Amino acid sequence: MTNVLIVAGEPPRQEAVLIRALEQFQAKGCRVQLVGDFVADQFSVDPALAEFHALAGTTTRTSARRSLNRAQPSRRLWLRAWRDPWVRQHARQADIVVALDALAVYTVWEISQRQHRSDAWHGLTPALKAVDVRSREGYRPAPLPLRRAVSATAGIMLRGIRRSAVAGVTETVRATMAPTIIRTRAGAWLWRRAVSAPGLPDGLRSRLTYRVHVKMVRAGEPAAAAQTSAAAAVHLKNRRIRADLLMREATEELSMGEVPVCLPAAVSAELVVADDLYAKKDFRKSAQALYKAMRLLFHRIVHFDQLSSPLVSDPAVFFAPLRASVAAQALATPRNRVVPAAGRPGGRPLRLLIATNGNDHFLREIRQHYENLPEVELRFVHFKNDPVSEPLTHKAGQIVEHLLAGESEYGKQVEEWLRPHLDWADTIFVDWCLAAAAMVTLVDPGTTRVIVRLHSFEALSFWPHLVDFSRVDDLIFVSDHLRDLTTAVLPELTTENSPRLHVISNAMDLSLYPRDKQANARFTLGLVGISAVAKDPRWTVEVLRLMRDQDPRYRLLLIGDGPNPEASESVRHYHDLLTQDLAELEPSGAIVRLGQVTDVPQALTEVGVIISSSVRESFHCGLVEGAASGAVPVVRDWPFFSGMAHGARTLFPSDWVVSTPAEAAERILKLTASEELWRSAGEAATAHTIATWDWPVTREYFDALILNTPDRQEPANLLR
Amino acid sequence: MIYLAIGFPPAAKSSAYRMRETANQFCAQGWEVTVVTICQRAWEREYGLDHSLSEGVDPRIRVVELPLMREDLETDIRAFDEARSLRPQHWINELRKRELKIFPEPVFGGWRHVLEQGLLQVHRDKPADLLMTTCAPYVNLAATWRLWEESRVPYAIDFRDGWSVDVVGGGPAFAVNSIAGRWERRVLEQALAVWCVNEPIAQFYRDRYPALAARVQVVRNGYDADCVPTSVRKPDPAAGLTFGYLGSVNFSTTLLDSVLTAWRAARRDDPVLARSRFEFRGHIGAGARREANAHMELLTAAASDAVIFGGPVPKAKVGATYGQWDALVLMLVGGRYVTSGKVYEFMASGLPVLSAHEIDHDAATVLSGHPLWTGAVGLNTDRLAASFRSAARLAIEATDAERAAGRTLALRYLRSAQLAPAVEHLTGLVRSVRVTSAASRPDRIAAPAGDTQS
Repeated sequence: MTNVLIVAGEPPRQEAVLIRALEQFQAKGCRVQLVGDFVADQFSVDPALAEFHALAGTTTRTSARRSLNRAQPSRRLWLRAWRDPWVRQHARQADIVVALDALAVYTVWEISQRQHRSDAWHGLTPALKAVDVRSREGYRPAPLPLRRAVSATAGIMLRGIRRSAVAGVTETVRATMAPTIIRTRAGAWLWRRAVSAPGLPDGLRSRLTYRVHVKMVRAGEPAAAAQTSAAAAVHLKNRRIRADLLMREATEELSMGEVPVCLPAAVSAELVVADDLYAKKDFRKSAQALYKAMRLLFHRIVHFDQLSSPLVSDPAVFFAPLRASVAAQALATPRNRVVPAAGRPGGRPLRLLIATNGNDHFLREIRQHYENLPEVELRFVHFKNDPVSEPLTHKAGQIVEHLLAGESEYGKQVEEWLRPHLDWADTIFVDWCLAAAAMVTLVDPGTTRVIVRLHSFEALSFWPHLVDFSRVDDLIFVSDHLRDLTTAVLPELTTENSPRLHVISNAMDLSLYPRDKQANARFTLGLVGISAVAKDPRWTVEVLRLMRDQDPRYRLLLIGDGPNPEASESVRHYHDLLTQDLAELEPSGAIVRLGQVTDVPQALTEVGVIISSSVRESFHCGLVEGAASGAVPVVRDWPFFSGMAHGARTLFPSDWVVSTPAEAAERILKLTASEELWRSAGEAATAHTIATWDWPVTREYFDALILNTPDRQEPANLLR
Repeated sequence: MIYLAIGFPPAAKSSAYRMRETANQFCAQGWEVTVVTICQRAWEREYGLDHSLSEGVDPRIRVVELPLMREDLETDIRAFDEARSLRPQHWINELRKRELKIFPEPVFGGWRHVLEQGLLQVHRDKPADLLMTTCAPYVNLAATWRLWEESRVPYAIDFRDGWSVDVVGGGPAFAVNSIAGRWERRVLEQALAVWCVNEPIAQFYRDRYPALAARVQVVRNGYDADCVPTSVRKPDPAAGLTFGYLGSVNFSTTLLDSVLTAWRAARRDDPVLARSRFEFRGHIGAGARREANAHMELLTAAASDAVIFGGPVPKAKVGATYGQWDALVLMLVGGRYVTSGKVYEFMASGLPVLSAHEIDHDAATVLSGHPLWTGAVGLNTDRLAASFRSAARLAIEATDAERAAGRTLALRYLRSAQLAPAVEHLTGLVRSVRVTSAASRPDRIAAPAGDTQS
């Protein structure tokens, strides 16, 4: 008699087929046992055909149940089956063990490793054939060769040890990654040692390190996390895996709204990959890695959604990895223009093309002026409004690839679209140092003179790094400190091959702002524009608190929308704090939010004191407009630039600028002590702003630069 | 010549009939034929062996078996490693990926190197003047190309159902510029001749590769004379009729379910059918699912409707099996690109034929004019039930003259009549290539006018 043990991991899908096979086994004189991981009412079988046994229910021991749940389904079936005495007994007696489905294959395999004389088959028909073979006259089961028998036994032991080890390690890992443990010095040391243990495969080391890093950051131990990652990273042989680990860690921290502790390491690791690929002339992949590194380096959470930026505090250190990268150096290689820009044409108006892909708010006065000037034929193109150029502005990665490879399909598309504009224009003025500037300098400008204006945030972005300044003739900044910051970011702007650098204030028609103010405006502080974290309205709220401690008549008007909490976790964090401030001060009327207004000059008639509380500004038009309206200006010494050669203190009269909320409160109390004093200070501010920054004044500077007429004297603050 | 024919007898495969006749025809025309196939153990994992098939192979033919077999069909769990036993399907998926890296054909791509070396060795042992390659598997094309590159052995491709044509869904199966597409184009470009089993497939290739148009020929499958029943059973309506299906069950369960549902409905309405039975013979499933898949479940569950599965039939007993039946049910996948081999046998049996396939199907073209054909009605169960009733009537009422007419109509599809002219033509081509010069290019050689079937 042949004993057949059939193992089913799930209720039989083809019940009729199984019954038919059982009949065939019976006809061949077999005794059949069927064990299944399902209850008897899911499947019924005539006991005359086979004895059915349902696997015992899951253990009640929590740790064993947890261990089972973590196992793969096929291994889980085996673990449960082998704990069942019925299965063990019948497995020992079986001549043929059959896996009815894929889930049962592993169980049958494990049994076959222990029962060397039994057959082990997947499927009923092969098993029926095996019965025929066994029933042939003279059949004797072949003993398993000694080597295979030893190997099977050793395998059983090893798998047991491995499972115990894995289960043990998993438990240990879970326990020792608890925040309370990981925050301790011993916990951090333990994990640093674990991830840097020799002999770990790269993939395992990487996955483990990532988990530890994230747990440490979440436990509030970013420094320990960075040390742990660094300890592991040196052991990672595969550079791609190393870069992926660090980039993944950085991305996770960014999602928490934090500046990644491993940012320099991640950028460096990714740049190493970019350099490797560049050396192999795989420009596409090199560009991808380089662009990836740059996006992390210039991530908005790092520079825009915080009250400080590592770029500003020490540009040399911050950019060290980028400057060391061969691929990044290739990106910055000047391509120069074939011929120099031609002078102003004779016999016809200057053809001026103003182009941008950003906010055109700062171009209003400039466009109006040149549209009405007979010496100029003006065209304006907004890259976002053209169906061909608009998608091209979103492809910074392809600009990187083009600059590395020297040519690309993208470059051809840009050339094709831009060339007619360049052929027409004598001078092209690109506002904002963004995609439009990168695209214009991607192609040779011919004889067209190229002027680019950099406002502010671009200096903290990757865009200027994609602009070929050897093809720019004139670069305009709106303030000295932005020029200083930009040249620190891009030292090549100070070399001989660089464009002429100019500082020209923003074009503003300030004549609209001086209007009568009511006497009670004296006690109203105003802040225009609070959408960015960099505006730091909470600093002004602090000033207000100090003022109201002295005199509860002081209040604050907030003009413009607040920060968008959806932008990032760090913006959400700031937004939540600001919301708490507002919840405290708004009900009493101490703070009034006006939101977006269409008539800013009218709104400013209620403002007696205009404040600039930003951590960084290039110029702060809102402050200057407020000052022009007759409000007393109070300017925080913008922390990004305080202590440098230029900043708020050099841009504005020194008495406008304060260092702390207390100093601000003191200045306000002093200048609003009486209506007379307040009005007098306001009038002085109006006079200064109109004389210094009103459009008739700055227009002269623009004309001198754009019209480039020899009979006009270049203003003193135009730099070469 | 070398005949690369994986599936050559004794493999119990439907393609074995065509391969056997092809080899025999070359032998008859004076070629020394060496067949290259895979080892017999490999077929045990599929549909098994049919040694009666080998009896019809010309004894002068030499057969070389390469040590290749499908790993995915292994059912002996003791041969598995731990990884395969833990996740059998995942293991197979990974195997597929590895195979595709070697040659763009899942399941067989991994055979490339052994096939190449095997073919080169056979040529070294006995230099060949012609290589005849039959597909599937398509990895044979790689070995064909290798022999061409190294030894410039002229070759022809018996492409049968083609590769880049999706015979079931219609239209191309892959793009010209895909990896598979580039392989196909490269190998076909140098072929002396390309055979296909029907005109729609041939036209597909003429359209896809206009430069090849003159070399693409239709060489239909046809039937073997020994498959025709020598005696016909007299239907007995009182005892009930026997409907039969003989062939591999490679159609969908939906189709099978429709046919069984129609059969059940027809039995309910027709007293003769209520007494009748429906016998399935052939191969179902392979590997672990051999005779244990969803098709088998449907058939077994239909036992109460007098549906019987009798297992495969050896080639030597095919004629006798038809002789025990009163009517045949022709179940086929696909449409206009599919003919199948069994349609010719069914036609030549002289029995009524019930069609269970799409209306626009090449089998309908073949059966057109057959006096005992119920016609193609699609797969609607009501219409199929009507076809069963109609087939029963035909079986009972058919005259000897009508049966003879059916057989006569089939005569033109005798397999030897299909293959002999094609082999003769190819032989002539090889001779002309050898006589003229090495400069003779395949694209200057014209195919015989028209379809070899007519």
